[in-house]
Amino acid sequence: MKDFLRRVFDTEFLPMSEVRKIKVLLVMAFLLVITALTIPFSLFFSYSTFITILILAIFLVVYGLMAVLIQLNKILAAIQISILYSIGLTLFYTQGTSAFYAYLFFFIALTIIIFYQELYSYLVYGTIVTGLGIFYIVTHQSALVLAQDIPGSMYIYILILALFYIVFLMQILYNEKLYTDMNFDWVRLNHVIDKYQDDIFIYLDEFQKMNKRPLAYEDLDFQKTVNELAVFIGEQTKESGKDIINVFDLYLYIHEKGIARILENEEISVSMKKTANRLNKYLLNRRTDMFSMIVNFFSRFKPSEKYNQNRYDYSLRKFSTKGDEQVIALAMIYQYLANEVTGSDEWEQMKRVLTETEIEELFTGSDAEEFLTPSQIAFFKENLDLFVDYLGKKQ
Amino acid sequence: MPKNKSYMFAEIADYREALEIKHLRTRNIFVVILMVFVMVFTLVYMLVSGFDLKQTISLLVGFLFVIIFNMSGLAYGRENYRFYQLNKYVTTLGIYVLTISIVFIFQSPSAITALFIAYAVSAFYQDLKVILISNLFLLFSVVMFMLNFPEYVNMQNSSLQDQIGIGIFFLAFVLILTISSYIIVKQKQFFYNQIALSRETEFRNLDLLIDLQKQVHDEDVDIESYYRRTKEFLEAFSKRLGIENAFHNKMQILLAMEKGEKKSTLGDKYPEFAKEDMDSLEELLIGARHKLRKTALKMSHTIDIDVKKREMFSETHFKSFNHQTDSLEIKIIAFVVFYAALKRGMDGFPELAEKTIHDALVSTDYFYYIDPRVMRIYQKNSEVFDTISKDILGKKVSS
Repeated sequence: MKDFLRRVFDTEFLPMSEVRKIKVLLVMAFLLVITALTIPFSLFFSYSTFITILILAIFLVVYGLMAVLIQLNKILAAIQISILYSIGLTLFYTQGTSAFYAYLFFFIALTIIIFYQELYSYLVYGTIVTGLGIFYIVTHQSALVLAQDIPGSMYIYILILALFYIVFLMQILYNEKLYTDMNFDWVRLNHVIDKYQDDIFIYLDEFQKMNKRPLAYEDLDFQKTVNELAVFIGEQTKESGKDIINVFDLYLYIHEKGIARILENEEISVSMKKTANRLNKYLLNRRTDMFSMIVNFFSRFKPSEKYNQNRYDYSLRKFSTKGDEQVIALAMIYQYLANEVTGSDEWEQMKRVLTETEIEELFTGSDAEEFLTPSQIAFFKENLDLFVDYLGKKQ
Repeated sequence: MPKNKSYMFAEIADYREALEIKHLRTRNIFVVILMVFVMVFTLVYMLVSGFDLKQTISLLVGFLFVIIFNMSGLAYGRENYRFYQLNKYVTTLGIYVLTISIVFIFQSPSAITALFIAYAVSAFYQDLKVILISNLFLLFSVVMFMLNFPEYVNMQNSSLQDQIGIGIFFLAFVLILTISSYIIVKQKQFFYNQIALSRETEFRNLDLLIDLQKQVHDEDVDIESYYRRTKEFLEAFSKRLGIENAFHNKMQILLAMEKGEKKSTLGDKYPEFAKEDMDSLEELLIGARHKLRKTALKMSHTIDIDVKKREMFSETHFKSFNHQTDSLEIKIIAFVVFYAALKRGMDGFPELAEKTIHDALVSTDYFYYIDPRVMRIYQKNSEVFDTISKDILGKKVSS
């Protein structure tokens, strides 16, 4: 419980799937409380005892189904069931009583749908709930509208419910657009980072060879350390130490043989291939998630310049607003790209220098505007011959 | 160990704030539009229904105050972002005051749910402080109306169970709204954090690439050659335009800066260049870890980047040792390989003490990259981990 609450408070660190799970667990806790409260309230509803017991039994079964789906890690299905459950509860209240609190249930059901922040769920279920709410208001107006009420109060009930729906629809639409754009940038940036880390891996590999240090996965001391630590954790978690050692042996075997050969090998069982495939992202002999996380961890402790608001701006327009300085910047960048090693070649050697055509594509292609202004691109095109003649690859 | 987790890179908090401010303006515009809509609806209804003109005008003034204040805040916000922040608090207070006034003027249970609209509008900011203020207002208003003005919440002539029902479900609604808003704000922060984390990772990876290039190849960019060739290019360009070469002094200053000469000394030598001019020129340096060099490196790595639709919102880009699809054995192996690699050290990086590793693992986002069961064992037994690895790897790392 303590761990769960800690995860709730630190949701900003968790990936989407984890957050979805937390959301559905919170909704389930909320629905459990509401269902428990419903039992005494249902005594006053207009249903017969049999129907009341039957519906409550159905709620309990559906609740159990949600719990099973969560256990099976079918979170999306559990989300859908929890929404249907809250709509079911709303209907149970609104068809059993015409009291004011039944009207509140439409807002509660809408909030549960909003909570998941899924556009399509909101469009489908949110619209249904709002529609049902409006229908309820129209058909139960005698109970909702008081004798001395203000004129047109029924329309106020309807409008407030509809407005509540619309405001959150706008919010969800805005978030959807914002998060999609941000996600695109994030994924693109991660691809670029992967390329940097491909190069970093090659450099570090060369560096280790220069220092005549064995590679980590070939170092027996390293292997022994991993072995002992894994067994130690295995003992604490009551997992079979043998199973863990087998997984580690497989891990080392993938380094030796390569994942492709293991997957092709018909003598290896399907479950072992699955495990190998999952271990693949943690290998140490190429740029993997494991390598990225190790490098990122270490780079935290390398000195870096102080934060300023332009730290992540790589657009030349941010460097200088003066035309002559922008020309100098363009010239320097062109010269760097034409003469320096900026990546690995097809033999995975850090020897690749860009060609004239590639640089031209970088300066004029669809992604150029991330770095250059349209006027800088035009300037480059007009003076391409000077760039090539004076700043191109040194002979 | 601090209770609140932080990010491995301190810069993430700064950039996240910059992202918040960037999007706050758009959210503010949405809120103004919603306010105008609510104002128009309320006033049209009051005029048509024949409400007292004084009350109608009072509400109009109230709405106009909040809207005009917002618009001024939006205008000044371009100069100082704190105006955007002021806007969100003033709007939240304003919209609740206006809504409570509406409930008092209408004196009808139909108006009480307008408080939910106030909540919905302020929730648009997706800000924890705003949510807190909004929750307090909503709770206070609901309790106040239930206790002191039961007729406004349809409680006066209701049966006991109805009164209990109204009380309970109002509170239940406030509760689910609070939980919902809290998690939604946190989810937004997750997106901002991921972007910020990737930006900082990129920044540090570029630094690392430059450093490694120097260490492995034992050579750096040939500054003299760069400046000689750029000068020739600029001369040819000036000649083409038929003008005098106006770049000469700037090139001299840049070359001197590359060689380590201080800006203050250069300022004395070139009095026509103010401090701001020197700062601007400094951005154009190509040596060491300067920004222009990083830009060139970044450009060279953006060739052939193709983002596929299926990658959007996919968790394959979220690097962790706690993937739901992995078995516990795999999670254990992933963690111990990671830990042993940190203890073993890496050429080109500083050696890390156990305390440094421990603090970073348990107090930063790395905590969430590791299965909670594995992390619990590490936290309880970090000394055992340290001893085992020291015994085998023979490192002289300080604890």
